Amino acid sequence: MNIRVKFEKGEARCPDAPSTQEIIARDKVSAPDWVCSESYEFLGDEDISIDRYIDPAFAKKELQTLWKKTWQFACREEHIPEVGDYYVYDLEHYSFIITRVAENDIRAYYNACLHRGTKLRASGTEGCASEFRCPFHGWSWNIDGTSKNVVCDWDFPHVERKSMCLPQARVETLGGFVFVNMDENAPTLAEYIGADAMAHINKWKLEDRYIVAHVTKVIPANWKLTMEAFMEAYHVLETHPQVAPSNGDANSQYDTYGEHVNRFISTLGVVSPHLKGRISEQDVLDQFTVGDSSMLQGADRKLQEGETARQRMADMMRGMFEQATNTDLSAVSDSELLDCFSYTVFPNTFLFPGISLPMVYRFRPVKGDHRKCIYEVFFLRPVPKDGERPEPACEVRLEEHQSFTEAEGMDPGFGAILDQDTENLLLEQEGLEASAKPGLTLGNYQEIRIRHFEKTVEKYVFGK
Amino acid sequence: MTNTTEPSDRLDVAEEQSAALEFTRFCELSAVPEGSKRARKINGTMVLVVHTKGKLYAVQNLCSHQDKFLHTGRVRNCRITCPLHGAQFDLATGKATCLPATKPIPTYEVRVVDDWVEVAV
Repeated sequence: MNIRVKFEKGEARCPDAPSTQEIIARDKVSAPDWVCSESYEFLGDEDISIDRYIDPAFAKKELQTLWKKTWQFACREEHIPEVGDYYVYDLEHYSFIITRVAENDIRAYYNACLHRGTKLRASGTEGCASEFRCPFHGWSWNIDGTSKNVVCDWDFPHVERKSMCLPQARVETLGGFVFVNMDENAPTLAEYIGADAMAHINKWKLEDRYIVAHVTKVIPANWKLTMEAFMEAYHVLETHPQVAPSNGDANSQYDTYGEHVNRFISTLGVVSPHLKGRISEQDVLDQFTVGDSSMLQGADRKLQEGETARQRMADMMRGMFEQATNTDLSAVSDSELLDCFSYTVFPNTFLFPGISLPMVYRFRPVKGDHRKCIYEVFFLRPVPKDGERPEPACEVRLEEHQSFTEAEGMDPGFGAILDQDTENLLLEQEGLEASAKPGLTLGNYQEIRIRHFEKTVEKYVFGK
Repeated sequence: MTNTTEPSDRLDVAEEQSAALEFTRFCELSAVPEGSKRARKINGTMVLVVHTKGKLYAVQNLCSHQDKFLHTGRVRNCRITCPLHGAQFDLATGKATCLPATKPIPTYEVRVVDDWVEVAV
């Protein structure tokens, strides 16, 4: 008989299952503080209005408010290691040239010639420049943004060269990521992220990782709807049935930090509470999937009497990943090796600091189409022990009809999971447009990240 | 009946094709160590030899976008970027991989004989 126990709103947790913290506490190599903490807060239970996903006017408001005022991940420092290196970051019609002007000086120039507006560098490109020269009439700028040349300057006596510097957006770096913000009055990136989440991010040392794969695909759904598909493990049982036997989905942990960061911890190597009693420890081990399963080839997958799948997986991962990637993981806890840590940095970035699922996701609206977004998956790997940093992988751009499994560098098992995630989205976008119900209904705990995220959307769009 | 070519036949064809190409000494191998590039004119053609990821590539040293030199451009992942306007080319195929270029650049056969880099232009 299904009995609902009365709890205060937001206090109920998956019944008859260990909590994420209880699972992690049993591990042989214990987890650090940032893993062993909780920060859930009940944020209300009213429906989320659907106009934000389906109304083009709402998307226009976002462009003028949210996107102009928030810190966005534009590129990795490894994309621009040397002075003069640049990377073009676009957000809808906005475009920036992110360039390294000196060893510790990175700038973001608005990507438009100050003569007649031609883009100085094409969208979606990167490279190295000794100057930024317009391909139309040849006006040029030094990499520090000062005017270098105005062709036929005798014809432009009204142009004050000293003030013809390329306009800039603000730039800050964190963990090897370059962030930009168009708002001169925005808080610093550290203030924006908040002290608690900053303490987590600083522990990860993501600056010591490099991009081993980068895959991009246009998804036929609003950017927020697409992001929210990745904010909970509630969907695992239905959407990823192959994962549920080795994932603590219904007992995952959800936390929020300030206005701009939230996370879940979803344990791996444990059976889903939905499948309790139906799955053996050996089944759990057999189902174990990681972001790059090639590293586990040849592993001994036969459990001994009394051995847990989770511990075997942690031990296996530690040895085989170290060998395959020439890295030292001796100081890394079992939880960090195995579990899925998913952090959202508002508005459009996911950071996964774990080792088994070491991704970064970025989401951006497609220009002029609120029903589509650009979804990017980066896989990061620790820089090898010998210190030589490999070049970041080239971006692989998939067509809308292609499977993630077709992308070079994508693990087939993980690519299939992303296909399952994204295949739902067209149906959700169209379903919202067809719906007679004006709002989304969210779970108080498992979907708190979505509520937290949407509250911040409202803050920027409506000034709430 | 299917028309097949034995591997040994294919090798002969490849050797014949290679023999038919006229190679010119470009520079000593030691002059283009791994991670470097070198440009010079051969028979009136501007040629750029790039040594990257353990392999030598030879391409035209002029961007197909606005005929500017490529030799000061950054090489990464076997692609070279034009330093002036940012066009990018695959060193193996010459294909333009991003705007503002839309046309490929010529590529040339390259080989090493007696520690000399030779290019067929």
